[in-house]
Amino acid sequence: MRIAVPRVGSLHYMAEDFCRRVGIGFVPSPAYTLSMIERGVAVSPEHFCFPMKVLIGSAMESLEAGADTLVTVAGYGECRFNYFAELQRRILEREGYEFQIVAFDSPFDSLPDFYRSLRAVTRSSRFHLPGVARELSLVLAKGHAFDEISKRATAMRALEAVEGAVDQAAGDCRALLANAFKKDEIAEARRAIASRFDEVPIDRMRPHIKVGVIGEIMMSIEPYFNLDIERWLARRGAVVERSIYMSDLMTPFGRNPVQGWTDEEMEKYASPYLCHGVGGHGQINVAAAVDHARRGFDAIVHFFPFTCLPEVIAKTIFVRLSSELDIPILSISIDEQTGRAGMQTRLEALTDLAWSRKRRKDSELSARHATSKV
Amino acid sequence: MKVGLPRALLFHQYGDCWVSFLDDLGIDPVVTDATTNDTVVTGTVYADNESCLPVKVFAGHLLDLKNTVDYILVPRVVSQHPGMKACPKYLGLPDMARALDRDLPPVVSPSMDLSDRRHRWAADWNRLALDLGKSPQAAGSAVDSMLRRLRERDESRVPAARGSMPIGVAGHLYNIHDSGVSLGLLERLSAMGAEVFTVEQVPIRHVRHQLKTLPRKIRWDFESRIVGAVMHWSRTRSVAGIIYVSSFACGPGSMIGPLLEDQLGREESVPLMTIILDEHSAEGGLITRLEAFTDLLRRVPRNPRPGVVPFGVDRP
Repeated sequence: MRIAVPRVGSLHYMAEDFCRRVGIGFVPSPAYTLSMIERGVAVSPEHFCFPMKVLIGSAMESLEAGADTLVTVAGYGECRFNYFAELQRRILEREGYEFQIVAFDSPFDSLPDFYRSLRAVTRSSRFHLPGVARELSLVLAKGHAFDEISKRATAMRALEAVEGAVDQAAGDCRALLANAFKKDEIAEARRAIASRFDEVPIDRMRPHIKVGVIGEIMMSIEPYFNLDIERWLARRGAVVERSIYMSDLMTPFGRNPVQGWTDEEMEKYASPYLCHGVGGHGQINVAAAVDHARRGFDAIVHFFPFTCLPEVIAKTIFVRLSSELDIPILSISIDEQTGRAGMQTRLEALTDLAWSRKRRKDSELSARHATSKV
Repeated sequence: MKVGLPRALLFHQYGDCWVSFLDDLGIDPVVTDATTNDTVVTGTVYADNESCLPVKVFAGHLLDLKNTVDYILVPRVVSQHPGMKACPKYLGLPDMARALDRDLPPVVSPSMDLSDRRHRWAADWNRLALDLGKSPQAAGSAVDSMLRRLRERDESRVPAARGSMPIGVAGHLYNIHDSGVSLGLLERLSAMGAEVFTVEQVPIRHVRHQLKTLPRKIRWDFESRIVGAVMHWSRTRSVAGIIYVSSFACGPGSMIGPLLEDQLGREESVPLMTIILDEHSAEGGLITRLEAFTDLLRRVPRNPRPGVVPFGVDRP
């Protein structure tokens, strides 16, 4: 059995780690390319959302690279992704591929289904349920550490005193983490990661703006689709914070370790604007926008695929949120027609706006400071 | 006191219950008029440009109520059957309504979660009635009569297909039964000599029976009903052709459309035509396609049920 997992944030990393632990064959999904997307678009129905078309292209290339089982996460409830696995199977069968597909639903929706999917994946390994559960929890801990690396790097990149120092540190940390397997090894690696980032020289006096990146998970995480937004913004002096991490979404209960809030807190943040979950990550994004606005961010960038159901609701609500909380929000919808130049122009306009607001705020602040001294 | 109700989306399903709830409380319900071209245009201008057509129509109706009522009632329909989920648009509808325009009257949004057999959601409606200044007795009896009305609804009978050209029209009822949205699809089909069947005429037990044959359960309530009904029509060959109506940017609709095309194609069943509606849909284009489809059904002999081979017909 050789499984393939979509390349979305740390999901791919965690799956690879899990397969190595329990001894299942793993085929790394190829990196996103234009030709892959074009192949996916060619065989998908017109009204699929963009990530689905990309995932179909990605699945085709993974199957050609030798995978025989596609593993995907299906059950987020109301979003159209919950029926994607079935249609993906039908489309790829029509195209003549031979494979099996395992779609994981949330264990809270149906525990038997979750167990059946888990069994289908781990049948060929020598592990039984307790062993699989233990390895899964370790994989999740490793995923948290992996996402923490990118969170730290994102926050520091705009302020690094030596160019490339943050990316260098992130690379070192990933190498450290790759060799950690046992529980104490992972804990040790996390400590080493923290001290490695502390060593990076930071220019704290450099003027900077703060920008939140929110949106649908694939469009906001994968650098291929969003112009590598984190580095792009860092080059323009923006400290960036992202609202969604894959390992947080996999955390079954309690506080999300990377983002740092519980689901109840998230709902409380979102509640004046969106009082009910709308599937996908709509409510998380509204909550993150409120959180960013209250913490004095200068701008928010919102990425979502064209006609994405939860994010279109969020986008409608952002119109109100933006005027009530006084924060610029730029919503960018992405599909196979999106041009890089157009996106770049709009982002430049947003960063210009954020900089001018920041300067105005600073000068007002210093003026008030001066008068209070007199 | 006046409470407004937009005649859009799930009003077409539960509107009678909502109106009678307000009537029982002695509140004047103001329901907007039928959808016109102006409604669609206003909605398109104000609603988010990536919303689906019914949400834009909803926005149009909502803005009609702007200066005429004290409150707007937009219930949050969470689920319609146990184990089922609603489209995200229904879940976020009250919040979208509030975000649409700041000068709107206050939007009140009691929730409605029909999957809850103990009707805990009814407490929301009770509180709403109390907040509107009604006595606890009046509130309780209004909620009770709404629950009774909900229990007694549906179970429509199925007329047998008689005409030469029975056509099943599958789609959301707020698209099909709103002729301002569907451009009079049902009337046009009848005028072309077709006998039209809609999804809600298929008994729910047939729908459930067909849905069991799918490898993965459909979680959306409306859409599972549509898929079950279409599969019932196609497998019993009770219609000559099926028209699937969806709207542009409809999320669940974009999933079940390809599913139906694939399933009916595999079974080599009755012809299926997909019509996608949006605010740019023109009558001319619709008429041409309907004419082509009815012509096709007239000329091509009805596909017999698999296993039922009429005498003298060679099957490949």
